[in-house]
Amino acid sequence: MKQLMTIVLAGAAATAGAADFKLPAFETVKLSNGLTVYLMQRHEVPIIAVRAVVKAGAVNDGAQAGLANLTGDAILLGSLTHSKAAIDEAFDFRGGILSGGGGTEQSTVQANFARKDADTLLPLFAELVQQPSFEQAELDKLRGRKMNVLRQAKESPRQVAGTYYRAMLFGPAAYGNPPGGTVNSLGALKQADVKAFHERYFRPDNAALIVVGDFDPAAMRKQVETLFGPWHADGPAPQRADYGKVMADKPRVWLVNKSDALETTFLIGGPGIARNDPDYVPLQVLNTVLGGRFTSWLNDELRINSGLSYGANSSFNHLSQTGTFSISSFTALPKTEAALDLAHKTYERLWSKGIDKETLESAKAYVKGQFPPRFETSEQLAGLLGDMYALGVSREQVDNFMRDVDTLTPERARALVEKHFPRRNLQTVMVGKAEAIRGIAARYGEVTEMEITADGFLPKP
Amino acid sequence: MKWRLLLAGAAYAAASYAQAALTADQVKSFTLPNGMKFIVLESSAIPNANMYTFWKVGSRNEAPGITGLSHFFEHMMFNGSKHYGPKQFDRTMEARGGANNAYTNSDVTVYQDWFPATALETVFKLEGDRIASLSIDPKMVESERGVVLSERSTGLENSNVRRLMQDLNSVAFTAHPYAIPTIGWESDIKAWTQKDLENYFRTYYAPNNAVAVIVGDVKVDNVKKLATRYFGGIPKRPAPPAVRTLEPEQTGERRLFIAKASAVAPNLMVAYKVPEAGHADYYALDVLQSLLADGKTSRLYKALVDTQISNSIAAFSTDGFDPGLLYFYTVSAGNVGVDKIEEALLAAIDSLIKDGVSDQELQKVKNAKLLNIYRAQETINGKALQLGNHEVFFGDYRKTFDAPAAYEKLTPADIQAVAAKYLKKSQRTVGVLAAKEE
Repeated sequence: MKQLMTIVLAGAAATAGAADFKLPAFETVKLSNGLTVYLMQRHEVPIIAVRAVVKAGAVNDGAQAGLANLTGDAILLGSLTHSKAAIDEAFDFRGGILSGGGGTEQSTVQANFARKDADTLLPLFAELVQQPSFEQAELDKLRGRKMNVLRQAKESPRQVAGTYYRAMLFGPAAYGNPPGGTVNSLGALKQADVKAFHERYFRPDNAALIVVGDFDPAAMRKQVETLFGPWHADGPAPQRADYGKVMADKPRVWLVNKSDALETTFLIGGPGIARNDPDYVPLQVLNTVLGGRFTSWLNDELRINSGLSYGANSSFNHLSQTGTFSISSFTALPKTEAALDLAHKTYERLWSKGIDKETLESAKAYVKGQFPPRFETSEQLAGLLGDMYALGVSREQVDNFMRDVDTLTPERARALVEKHFPRRNLQTVMVGKAEAIRGIAARYGEVTEMEITADGFLPKP
Repeated sequence: MKWRLLLAGAAYAAASYAQAALTADQVKSFTLPNGMKFIVLESSAIPNANMYTFWKVGSRNEAPGITGLSHFFEHMMFNGSKHYGPKQFDRTMEARGGANNAYTNSDVTVYQDWFPATALETVFKLEGDRIASLSIDPKMVESERGVVLSERSTGLENSNVRRLMQDLNSVAFTAHPYAIPTIGWESDIKAWTQKDLENYFRTYYAPNNAVAVIVGDVKVDNVKKLATRYFGGIPKRPAPPAVRTLEPEQTGERRLFIAKASAVAPNLMVAYKVPEAGHADYYALDVLQSLLADGKTSRLYKALVDTQISNSIAAFSTDGFDPGLLYFYTVSAGNVGVDKIEEALLAAIDSLIKDGVSDQELQKVKNAKLLNIYRAQETINGKALQLGNHEVFFGDYRKTFDAPAAYEKLTPADIQAVAAKYLKKSQRTVGVLAAKEE
């Protein structure tokens, strides 16, 4: 689909020629059962991306870590009228892709198939979302596989460092729950738990259906109404609670021991911002300067100038109510001290030197230039519409993206750094060989040690 | 129930029925007098474009002492040239809204630039300058060695498959340089010299050894004009020396074991010798690979994962100029011994060789191949990769468009025949990575 190609007039010379970007047109409707439906046509290739987005995730796990995630995957194990084998066969035979999963705040069921197969596959998709079977034998197999994946993930520090970091920042609050659960918590989950979770959260007034791609709109509307119109729920829809705030009242270090580690993997940071924060767009630009691109300060120092690491970056991780910020890198064990020290020094430049006009203009151009490919495919657009529904992203944030980048000045950048980047009481996770890096860890705050091989992502109580 | 249109207007009207898929006549190509070939596809779905430059050099062009040099070069190409000092390539490109990356494997080094279409000239200027006159600053070489050592160690730290594949290659190939790990051996990374680097650049970074693919919101005429201006003056050089070594025929199964104390479950890799890309059996082998390992209805998923002896199964192969490997990789479900997994994997392969495949099973894979071609064509990057890979490994970008027909004409007998021909005991290498040897 061809995007609007209006030239931005507000910008200075540096931004002339940058193309504007607006979200492609889409229809939205609320069915009488409360289901929100988004339809967006695209006709580059004869493919349709469908996703059901449910406002449920690890934040709803309570004491049963991994329940939302297991439920999201278990949806695919067959419906009340079609076995898992029949459904897998139907999708695979047509080159369709079926996937699902539960994240922190949203669960999705996704399908991607040829235009001509919508009549066959969309009904199966609708059955899975509304009447999954959670057949016992298949559920046990899935749970076993997921437990093994969790065990194996701990072989790779980079796969798990972020989960420790989140647990450290949010403590016992809902946002601290490990989205995939732990080996022990998954082992304790029963079929009845999964069924109850589905019953409680997978309901039309807590979900959106998103269809993006090559379809006839009249036929698709009709099909959606037929398949999803009868879906109903009893009682009031679940409401969102307070899922927690980042705890950063003193500098802390979690040192996760991996006794055969060749390197030290680390995260440093603190609180960030919510996905729908009005400063979301300008902060993308500022983070680009610090750690969001190859020539960013962090990568420039830790990789290019010093050769300490293959890469260093920083990012805001957004949630619906709040968020986190972190710098992340890794280095050979003997270089741990140098790399951590340089990461801190580089970060401090945000305040000590600030961002000059030239660097800011470069980051603005970069963020704008890399924006359109983020919404190039039907899957990407379906993901964005899902975030709009589940995380409250406003379409203004998308449509005004270019304008919000263009209007960012060095003065405002300075104010935003003060307001949003955590400077004091930094929180640190280090994964590596504890006996060799314990002393270094102590320089950055109160140290708590744990073994990577222990269950879960928390220190021993 | 009421449907309402949230956003009307230009974008909506433009959204109506464009072409169904990419066709060969939309792609244009030209070759500069110095031998540098360009393939261009105008595609205005987003106001962006890319440039993928394929260099026919990779670790297969290396020898002991300079292992990893192709990959190191990939890094050095960003460290300064005549008109753009160290860091200036990236700084200039990013300030114009562009980003880039690069990858190296055994056969090729590929540079990828992604940018707003308006930055095309800047990108050509940058690329032209580093190809014409790269600086190999000894200071940058030293710092970059550290970066590559970190890249190597982080790969080994975080990825069992990487470790297993590296060591398996060195067992499967005894003579051919496919035995060399693309990242290089640690001692070589620490030891290569300034002269090695200069020789390498002169030998392989000749314009006649490159193919550039540009896809995006550009005009062919303008690409041609700018290509002539920024790449036309780079002198043609002698063709790089051919890789002479042929791998002798493997005459028996080979095995290796890697001990890694922190491995929580045994990893198994079984790899078979297969021919080069462009070989007549290429498409049948590609279908065979998918039939065995793609999706929950694949043979090996059913034999290994459904039965709960393995936790995952994957198959992969890379396009190469010389005969290479088709890999199967699986991780134990935990308490299951690797012998049992190997037995089940080989039994599934043997049953395919013995009993063949059904029409339905073959049709399933054909359908998936076609959809995956469409999926790749949803992005300008997918299109650039398809065109570039076909040009480099199959000799002509137009072969991209032959793929659907090549898959379509395959019969169950073709699949059974390639399975019998290549998935033989004498042609395989079996690798295990586990905490300790059983």
